[in-house]
Amino acid sequence: MNLEEEKDFKVESSSLKEIRSFAREVISKSTVLSACSDDLVLALAEAAQNIVKHAYNGQPTDDLLKVKISFKDNDLSMELFDKGKPVVPANIKPRNLEDIKAGGLGTFFIGQIMDEVVFKTTKVDWVNHLVLTKKF
Amino acid sequence: MSYKVIEENSISTVYLDGEIDMDVTDKAKEVIMPLLDAKKEVHINLKDVQYMDSSGISVLIESHQKAEELGTKVTLKEISKSVLKVIMMAKLEQVLNLD
Repeated sequence: MNLEEEKDFKVESSSLKEIRSFAREVISKSTVLSACSDDLVLALAEAAQNIVKHAYNGQPTDDLLKVKISFKDNDLSMELFDKGKPVVPANIKPRNLEDIKAGGLGTFFIGQIMDEVVFKTTKVDWVNHLVLTKKF
Repeated sequence: MSYKVIEENSISTVYLDGEIDMDVTDKAKEVIMPLLDAKKEVHINLKDVQYMDSSGISVLIESHQKAEELGTKVTLKEISKSVLKVIMMAKLEQVLNLD
């Protein structure tokens, strides 16, 4: 089964619950994806949280962030688009497992769950375009 | 997220409920940290927490560390399957006190 759905959300922490609900709803349409729904929802929500926390420093904004979920030929792609502070991929570091601290934990989770995490620069309408992919 | 606190035999048990993400971590800290400041032993009951992300895990880490600094203890009780999965993904099952 192939699917493709997208939705815009306000860039604020209270949107995270709506983003999870959207992701759960889309993922539930595929039995393949449903088997690991919790993990996929966590990865997407952590990426969205990073946008609120880091691309906008938690500051109020009228900007929206876009979430797009595509599943085609057993390839899942979860994309996030925002117009916040440009991300410098080299500065994104997952938590060192020896450090018992929370910083970087979300990035670590994303890396554990997804096959690939890439910042693309081809979408001129957006500042940041993060693509999380996983093959099933 | 909602919560309740029950005090019994010098142990404060914080029952958390719902989904714990960045939007509610301040509220969770406001409940747990004053109990630790009062040097109470704290149990955090997680049986009704259906979702926890890295922000929620950070509350558990900070609570654990603060308890150690103050010479008291935080124990996680009745951890739901979904929360346990995230704790294990973070490789914290040997660090936090799980019961």
